[in-house]
Amino acid sequence: MEKHNRYFKILELDNEASLADVRRAYQHLKTLYSGDSIATAASAYDFSEDGRKSVLGEIDEAYTRLLEFFENKGKDPGRKDKPKVVFHDDFKEYLASIASFSGFALKQIRVKLGIDLKDMSYFTKIRRQYFEDIEIERFSSFPSEVYLRGYILEYAKYLSIDPVKVADDYIKKYKAWKAARERKA
Amino acid sequence: MSKDGRDKDRKNEIWAIGGGKGGTGKSFITSCMGTYLASKNKRVVLIDADLGGANLHTFLGVSKPKNSLTDFFERKLSLNDIIVNCGMSDLGLVSGTLKSLEAENIKYAQKVKLFRHIKSLDTDYVLIDLGAGSHGNTMDTFLLADKMIVVIVPELTAIENMYHFVKNVFFRKLKMALDKNGFKSIFHDAWKNKESHGIRNLKELTDYLMNAADGIKDVLDKEMSGFSVHVVLNQVRSSKEAPIGLSVKSVCMKFLGLNARYTGHIIYDDSVAKCINKRQPFMITYPFSNVAKEVKKLVENLVEGKQVEIGKEEQLDGKA
Repeated sequence: MEKHNRYFKILELDNEASLADVRRAYQHLKTLYSGDSIATAASAYDFSEDGRKSVLGEIDEAYTRLLEFFENKGKDPGRKDKPKVVFHDDFKEYLASIASFSGFALKQIRVKLGIDLKDMSYFTKIRRQYFEDIEIERFSSFPSEVYLRGYILEYAKYLSIDPVKVADDYIKKYKAWKAARERKA
Repeated sequence: MSKDGRDKDRKNEIWAIGGGKGGTGKSFITSCMGTYLASKNKRVVLIDADLGGANLHTFLGVSKPKNSLTDFFERKLSLNDIIVNCGMSDLGLVSGTLKSLEAENIKYAQKVKLFRHIKSLDTDYVLIDLGAGSHGNTMDTFLLADKMIVVIVPELTAIENMYHFVKNVFFRKLKMALDKNGFKSIFHDAWKNKESHGIRNLKELTDYLMNAADGIKDVLDKEMSGFSVHVVLNQVRSSKEAPIGLSVKSVCMKFLGLNARYTGHIIYDDSVAKCINKRQPFMITYPFSNVAKEVKKLVENLVEGKQVEIGKEEQLDGKA
């Protein structure tokens, strides 16, 4: 347990942090130390390339270890309130069982991963409303196919599932809806 | 001394607001936080320690008080005698001085006396507004505080100066603690021969010192855990800029090796400058503005010891 406290500390979280907190923290720190930010540029005196690499290494390690930690916590029979956790093998099987990615399927995957839309919106800089509309297949919200494709790619990338396959499946549904609407008109 | 480093008989809590760079909004935020605390029935004394550029009174909408810190230093008045009321019953101000008395000119004994008077003020909160720069007196006043607050804006130079300021402050604190505990020569040697010890920065200095002598680790651990900087990000213009506060905090911890907390942000609002120019106190003129709400949040976070966490930043109202 003490070992994990260290990993929480590396991700700048307290020991009570949830899996969703861990994901958010990881994403923020990974972006901060991989890219170019005024927060790091301003510390050029203390900030070396070696230092950057070693911090990134620590962040990656902490994240991996904490994912394992949450998995094991989920398997602990003593716990009643099991957190929503990804069991890798089960999850892969589940993904493989999906023939075509619908809005409903995407929502289910997202919920299984314990990711909330607010975070997705925050990190992708895409309005939450669009993600909600993707999930309920409210196609009329999207000004054009190009926009929708962009949003759906970001959605899939955030969930770490194959973005091209997801977008292709989803756009098929959109095209069918559009064709039906044009026939009516 | 109690566990958190405060004298047991002390009643007040001292907050110092600094940050190295000028124009980031230190005085504005000090005046707003003070006004808010006073509106919550706390007794507050604001001290304008920006010696040489003192104008905290302007932010509070009062004219320049007759007595100032100059009178404390030169005419031997007590601090209590130069507190003026600022339009609210529980809000007092100790005015700084606009001329003659620069930080360089304050003698050591005068500084010690001022600090003693500040600590014994019969009030709930003492908020000290510091000037720009990293002068010794400014740093010592910052170190006097129970809560050390730095104000930055989302600009490279402001962040750079802030890092510089907190590093210098910590270096000073470390030096004093090590001197006091008999590690003066080790500290002196480490810094003087830093090249040969492979020390390039503050973090490497503390890493090196950790193993440099028996018992030094305890002193360092105590100093490092007792040192925490509260970061406030001012003049935020878009949602994109809000996470900079978290990033700055992260850099302080990972690269400077210092404890830091991100207390919150204040959005940019044109009405702030308008208010200052009209000499209207902002919190009273625009109590329902977003800026006022954010000031309230800042104060609550400081009082309750909370901070903003990753992914849980408040959404910016009305900003893209």
